Amino acid sequence: MSTLLEVQGISVSFDGFRAINNLSFVIGLPEMRAVIGPNGAGKTTFMDIVTGKTRPDSGTVRWGETGTSLLSMSEAQIAQAGVGRKFQRPTVFEDQTVWDNLRLSLKKPRGPIAALMDRVTEADRTRISEVAAEIGLADHLDRPAGILSHGQKQWLEIGMLLAQDPKLLLVDEPAAGMTTEEREHTTALLKRLAQNHAVVVVEHDMEFVRRLECRVTVLHEGSVLAEGSLDHVMADQRVIEVYLGR
Amino acid sequence: MENSIFVRNRSVPIFIGVLTLLAIAVTVLSEGYGTGALSVSFTKVLGMTLCLCLAALAMDLVWGYCGILSLGHFAFFGLGGYMIGMWLMTARTEQVVRANLQNAVIPPTEAEISAATASQIFSVVGATDWPWMWAASDSLILSLLLVVLVPGLLALVFGWLAFRSRVTGVYLSILTQAMTLALSLYLFQNDTGLRGNNGLSGLQNIPGLETVGQDRISIWFFWGSALALGLAYIGAAWMVSGKFGSIVRGIRDDEQRVRFLGYRVEVYKLFIFTFTGMLCGIAGALYYPQAGIINPDEIAPIASIYLAVWVAIGGRGRLYGAVIGAAVVSLLSTYFTGGRAPNLNLGLFTIDWVDWWPVLLGLGFVLVTLFAPKGLGGLVDVIVRKDRR
Repeated sequence: MSTLLEVQGISVSFDGFRAINNLSFVIGLPEMRAVIGPNGAGKTTFMDIVTGKTRPDSGTVRWGETGTSLLSMSEAQIAQAGVGRKFQRPTVFEDQTVWDNLRLSLKKPRGPIAALMDRVTEADRTRISEVAAEIGLADHLDRPAGILSHGQKQWLEIGMLLAQDPKLLLVDEPAAGMTTEEREHTTALLKRLAQNHAVVVVEHDMEFVRRLECRVTVLHEGSVLAEGSLDHVMADQRVIEVYLGR
Repeated sequence: MENSIFVRNRSVPIFIGVLTLLAIAVTVLSEGYGTGALSVSFTKVLGMTLCLCLAALAMDLVWGYCGILSLGHFAFFGLGGYMIGMWLMTARTEQVVRANLQNAVIPPTEAEISAATASQIFSVVGATDWPWMWAASDSLILSLLLVVLVPGLLALVFGWLAFRSRVTGVYLSILTQAMTLALSLYLFQNDTGLRGNNGLSGLQNIPGLETVGQDRISIWFFWGSALALGLAYIGAAWMVSGKFGSIVRGIRDDEQRVRFLGYRVEVYKLFIFTFTGMLCGIAGALYYPQAGIINPDEIAPIASIYLAVWVAIGGRGRLYGAVIGAAVVSLLSTYFTGGRAPNLNLGLFTIDWVDWWPVLLGLGFVLVTLFAPKGLGGLVDVIVRKDRR
């Protein structure tokens, strides 16, 4: 396992409010990591920083074996470098078909001319079918994404991540609003992904986190409170205080 | 299922078919080549309408598909008109000057002809020299290039500044209004070099075609406009039906998501903004020789707003919608404001359509927004779907 993402001592404030406070985080490839923490702990801001949406006031974010800094790169460049993000609210392109959604996510040149000239190759078709099968939407390729169920939209978004072929997947609350059956499917999918990707799952639901069977990082007030196995962190006195109220 | 635009965009063969039928019908009924049922002036109105449809098509690409509500695209249309207008005026005036000096005792030099042409053109604004921006006006080829390049360059620079700073939504609309207003005010000044509020006139006289009557020229321009609209329609359908269209619609619906997929949203916006600016330039260059005159009033902010209204009434995000909207609304506008519509006597007061047309248009806009949010083009969709069942 080699280090893929190394976040060192980042801090960011919004109007004097310290959303992230001297946070450090390392993840290797392949690895699955769950990030938990109460509302306002800085989970989403952390993802915003890694994906380039927010710039930290201080600290470093290094990427890959060469340790390239992600801080000087735009969102699009970071995505091209191999960071994929799934939002909390499923964001798929609702008036386009599942097929179109997957097609525009495929790992291919990203410029406008390349997009204009793009033709669907046999390899693209195969890849789209593979991904669709993986996320259980093989029978829905021609349907507009807007009419999918909530759970299916979540999967489609994960499928779009897969089509992008990223090294690191940042997945924000993948199980939100899913039925028990859908959750199990999602858990299995994420575990499979973690065999050859780095996967960071932000989740509130402890039962879901337990099923992932992975290391857990607990965030609180913008910094890491505890890290280790779920049982280890849940036994931590400070974590109990944060979660069970003061 | 995915590689052919004719499969993914069934409206293309239908649109081209309808346009061809229209062109044949107009030719058969024209004064120049047919029965003469259509007057020259009405033929010109139809040709100009096709140019407006072309501008609306561009507006639909940039707004309906990419979500950029530009309220400045008519500036590009006007610029296209000015670029070709400079050549038309220069060449035509030069011919007149040469004819006048033909019988002079001493044959005039080229420099004298040039000076006489300049003073003829610019005397209305009290100038006699060629302004720098007329440098290319003696070359048709250069002028045709400028028809595309000048609007394209303005769109590129403006778009680069705006999109790079991530100006979106209503703020961008306001900026584009400011752009077209500023350009219009600039051109209104007499010392700008484009004859201030006089604008460029006599553009219907095409140099080299003096022996051809307006009855034929009007048909030629109608054909040219139809050809441009047809080609642009095919090109636009090709653009929006593939992966590019998918990305652009993605930008309209969720710009941030597209960014996280690794696409440089600003580059795409700039591409489509500049491309549609150029399309508007071409539309304007075909329009104003038919209109005969262009002045800075043409690119007043309201003109660009009308463009958006046409597309909204016709239906955004469906190319034929923009064309239908522009054709219906601009033809009705010509009918009602051209003095053709008889006044409606209601006893207590008389409705004079010239004054009441904006009210009618506004009412139509409200009704369409309320009851057919997908526009007139959306009604087409409803009918087509019913047929298929």
